[in-house]
Amino acid sequence: MYEFVTGPLAWIAFGIFIIGMTVKVISVIRLASKKDKVVFNHWSWGWSFRSVYRWLIPFGSRSMREKPVLTIVFFVFHVCLLAVPIFLLGHNILWDERWGITWWSFSETSADYLTLLLMAAAIVLILRRIVLPEVRIVTTAYDYLLLAIAVAPFVTGYFAYHQWFDYKTVLIIHILCGEIMLIAIPFTKLSHMILFFFTRAHIGSEMGERRGAKTW
Amino acid sequence: MRKGMVALYIGMAVLVSMLCFVPAHAQEDIVSLADSAFKDRQRAPAVFVHEEHNEKAEIEECNVCHHLYQGGNKVEDESSEGQGCSDCHHVEEDDPARPLMKAYHDLCKACHRENDEGPVTCGECHPKQRYVLGS
Repeated sequence: MYEFVTGPLAWIAFGIFIIGMTVKVISVIRLASKKDKVVFNHWSWGWSFRSVYRWLIPFGSRSMREKPVLTIVFFVFHVCLLAVPIFLLGHNILWDERWGITWWSFSETSADYLTLLLMAAAIVLILRRIVLPEVRIVTTAYDYLLLAIAVAPFVTGYFAYHQWFDYKTVLIIHILCGEIMLIAIPFTKLSHMILFFFTRAHIGSEMGERRGAKTW
Repeated sequence: MRKGMVALYIGMAVLVSMLCFVPAHAQEDIVSLADSAFKDRQRAPAVFVHEEHNEKAEIEECNVCHHLYQGGNKVEDESSEGQGCSDCHHVEEDDPARPLMKAYHDLCKACHRENDEGPVTCGECHPKQRYVLGS
């Protein structure tokens, strides 16, 4: 089972993720060129880059400055979500063994604490949807499902690292959760991991070039 | 007071006599791959009960694991037991002879994969709580 989930199933998951996201990006650009030609006629790289940059750095936008606590939680969540799996020693050993590529890794202890931090941030994100009325009214079960898909690899990874319950079973569930997440990205709102750059660039260029208004 | 002292002497005698057995036992049986070259350990040393492993895996020749390379080529019929793995494989990741951690991982896992036997995942070899192979 381990060989299957780390072999063929991993290929399928990464394949769907990469091809799915490529198709998604191309279709978004094509849709814009059909429905909103003006965007391309008046495109401003300067405004679009500034917009992306401002929304990438902590407190770079006005709405982030208005909600400082949530901003910190959002950044902790997203930074850990990307950094932990990419720089995890166990994952990097697999990349090295299978593809011969190596890069820097967190110490196991750091990765352990960062995972805890991510799970704590996820709890705040769930509470946010329950507690804040302006978020509650736009929240459906789908939003919780997406949060669960994003966080499940970390919860199961934490259990696997600490070898709670049956290690091999937990490890396989962990790998499956990661693959479910990869497959879900192109088909759900999780695609904002790539589309974020397009939407922020679009809005930044649109508002900046034509109206001189900052969108951050 | 005197009784307490006697008890203490007996206790010490028992402890010291137990100590005599510890090094002898440890030298005979290798139970983990605790290579002292690893200064900054990320995980517990891999569980490896030398005798039990070789019996189970039906390994008779030492050089199946204790290989000897010269000029990048494996020397058949020669073995390197008595030498430490870290005599040739260094911890540094740019070691051309294959970095130590990778040397261990590759040697163990390649054989386990080839024979479809034995552990290949992190936690099976590096347990949080130490357990004995086969248990």
